[in-house]
Amino acid sequence: MSTMNSSQRRAVIIGGVRTPFVRAFGDFTPLSTIDLGAAVVRGLLHKYPIAWKDIDSMIWSGVILPSDTVNIGREILFDVGLPMEIEAYTITRVCTSSLCAITLASAAIERGEADVMIAGGSDSTSNAEVKMPATLVHKAAPVFLNPKSTVKDYFRMLTSLNPKKDLIPQRPAIKERLTGELMGESAEKMAKRNQISREAQDSFAYQSHTRAAKAIETGRFSDEVIPVETPNGKTVFTDNIVRGDTSIEKLGKLKPVFAKDGTLTAGNSSSLTDGASAVLLMNEEKAKSLGFQPLATMRSWSYDAVDPTDQLLIGPAISMPKAMIRAGMKRDDIDLIDIHEAFAAQVLSVLKMLNSDQFAKDRLNLEKAFGEIKPENINIHGGSVALGHPFAATGARMVITMANELKLSGKSTALLGICGAGALSAAAVMEAV
Amino acid sequence: MNDRLIQLGKSSTMRTLLKRLGFPNLPQALTRSIHPWEEHPLKDQIIVTGQIRASTLTETIAAIVARLGATALIHGDKSIYNIFHSVGAGYGRLPQFLSKDEMPEKSFQAMIFDATDIQHPEELNLVYSFFHDYLRSLSRCGRVIVVTRSPESMSDIPSATCARALEGFVRAMSREIGFNGSTANIIYVDAKAQDRLAPVVRFLVSPRSAYITGQPLYISGQVQMKTSPSNTRPLDQKVALVTGSAQGIGAAIARSMAREGAQVIIMDRPSEEIAAAKLAAEIQGTLLLCDITDVSAGDQIIETIGKKFTGIDIIVHNAGITRDKLLVNMKPEIWDQVLDVNLRSILRVNEKIIPKMRESGRMVCLSSVSGIAGNRGQTNYSTSKAGVIGYVKTLAPAVANRGIAVNAVAPGFIETQMTARIPFATREVARRLSNLNQGGQPEDVAETVTFLSSPGASGLSGQVLRICGGALIGA
Repeated sequence: MSTMNSSQRRAVIIGGVRTPFVRAFGDFTPLSTIDLGAAVVRGLLHKYPIAWKDIDSMIWSGVILPSDTVNIGREILFDVGLPMEIEAYTITRVCTSSLCAITLASAAIERGEADVMIAGGSDSTSNAEVKMPATLVHKAAPVFLNPKSTVKDYFRMLTSLNPKKDLIPQRPAIKERLTGELMGESAEKMAKRNQISREAQDSFAYQSHTRAAKAIETGRFSDEVIPVETPNGKTVFTDNIVRGDTSIEKLGKLKPVFAKDGTLTAGNSSSLTDGASAVLLMNEEKAKSLGFQPLATMRSWSYDAVDPTDQLLIGPAISMPKAMIRAGMKRDDIDLIDIHEAFAAQVLSVLKMLNSDQFAKDRLNLEKAFGEIKPENINIHGGSVALGHPFAATGARMVITMANELKLSGKSTALLGICGAGALSAAAVMEAV
Repeated sequence: MNDRLIQLGKSSTMRTLLKRLGFPNLPQALTRSIHPWEEHPLKDQIIVTGQIRASTLTETIAAIVARLGATALIHGDKSIYNIFHSVGAGYGRLPQFLSKDEMPEKSFQAMIFDATDIQHPEELNLVYSFFHDYLRSLSRCGRVIVVTRSPESMSDIPSATCARALEGFVRAMSREIGFNGSTANIIYVDAKAQDRLAPVVRFLVSPRSAYITGQPLYISGQVQMKTSPSNTRPLDQKVALVTGSAQGIGAAIARSMAREGAQVIIMDRPSEEIAAAKLAAEIQGTLLLCDITDVSAGDQIIETIGKKFTGIDIIVHNAGITRDKLLVNMKPEIWDQVLDVNLRSILRVNEKIIPKMRESGRMVCLSSVSGIAGNRGQTNYSTSKAGVIGYVKTLAPAVANRGIAVNAVAPGFIETQMTARIPFATREVARRLSNLNQGGQPEDVAETVTFLSSPGASGLSGQVLRICGGALIGA
């Protein structure tokens, strides 16, 4: 391992893989987030054979973290059988989690903390915990934990329980704690405020599905997606949410799900999904010495937050220009753009703000807007609406697809943008090496 | 101290019953806000806008409305709508267009009329028709703001005439909408002071200005302004001194400022130690026990500042007493006491502490409607409070180049210990002789003083701002 203060170190991405992204409560249901993470790390190490003792550390990420083992990264390490001297920690930064893990790993490598790192994320929506109310524990625990409790104490405790308040578990929902709004409701408000029509959203969703279907069909994803064997003996090979046979008419028939007269439907929103993805990063010198051909580097990144009560998911419109400024680049320097599709309405709102001079003046202190980005010029192989969104796995999925795309197309730069709950956002500029 | 009629008025059955019986309207309970300044005070609410024609201020107003979190309902032509649209698009707050003869579907919270480009008296008809058509749909505790150029900065006589005419219009309108808790005010903006308009509009349109109505405000660029002000926690990093702040209005001012981030020095007489110490503990302020009439008061203040802070940003002269007596019965001691506390000590103390004020500082002195209109039995009080007005008006230009703004507020009838001592009949009458038909609360004065102490109030200096609910006395 190099000394901490080595300068001019560059962290590079050797490559990455992901599991198929499967709709929640489907074939991946028996697999926990740790199982999915272990599967993808095994796949990663199978594809890029390195001596396991050369791995320095791992940064994993998740959004739905099991309460009994929060540091799932470490558990993945144990399950895969990697040397226990490899340290691993787990972060959560909502939907931007694995992008954050990747940039943290890049920064650590460039700082000299490590030469070889694994970064990724996994989420099993099917295994989200359904919690009993806290008041049950508050009432029951003192009695259970007290060795001197008598039958009378237990009886008294049981009768003090209110069936409605103490015994009915809460149904998990993607809700903002601050506003009490479902994320879809916030996106619905954004659609209204920015006047994003139902037609525009369905059109974008159609684009996402057809492009993803084409990518799967032509084998574009075959290098990135590893097969996963489930405990039922079945092996899953491909993403199962993508609908190549959809049409704008079919999408138009769906009912709005977040508001009576709303425009967001199941078709133009991302779905609850299970999946994992992982990326192998190295110090550039080390990569050369081991004979690896790196694909890309994380040239710059930006992590930001906005007001959750005022356009919850607009953050990428701030992060993307900031990441560009940090990379010293202009709009025309970017070859590929990939934006996480939480909802078609959210992506289209972000594109609108990126093209607004007033927005740039007010929120970014810039004279002019970032520039016009047409919906058809982003997400060339589809996005989260079609592929699904296993929360923490999405960032790494985007990095992997863009890294491969830069290599395959010979292009130089890609700009990524992701929004997240709690009104967080992230963006990164990737550069081919 | 409770105004029983406001309590009664909260019940709708009572209101209808008394109306049927032919009684005049019960006073409307005012919507107030004692929460910290927020980024979007009028979030998701509607503001109806009108104008003579597109002016240099149209884009500024569009940005103000969007930043308030509100949607603009535009009465005007397409060119105005397009300006509001291109500005609002950047905030996801796209305006709606009100075509002629179209009534808004529901009631709205505020109306802003841009009369900056008024040129001749015929155009006053546009003002008349805008308000004639839409005023009825203004919600309870609504806000009306008319913006125009100051008569002095208008090049020709007809325009200047119209600008001054609008003040009469707004004053009269405020007397008509007050029964509903709504307020109307007019802002005169100097030619080069457009960039100072936004914070003033934000304040007037928010619940914090509940007790200010029928007033003209003058925005000028005389005070040096360094940085653009923030909409939240405006007094962060500021050190403020509030005299006479152990209780009443002074305590409310101290609390309000501390809430917005200021470090407050609470100053009062040693006899008020308990109340003052309690307040200091509550807001984590600094205690200074000192009689303001002491010759050494100024030095004591400077010493206190030096002990904990590196300078002073805000000074609020709130300490004041009344000793009412008809002039022919007024003993010399009573005359002298009031003049000493209310006026002379201000000059004495300021001589020492103004040189120590930091750049972009603020000073607010408490005057009174009594200083403007006079009051029976208050020759001493009115003299002192009118003196404060003269002082503020002449001090303001002298310190403007240091970025310091100096203003006075003139409270009307405010429900405090002081006014609780007034005999019942007089008190009742005093309460009802205003547009809003009720007395104000100490918070009303506190929020205004806090606003005048904020960086965003750099456009206001040398002003006397009445916080009187549109009291019928004086002007």
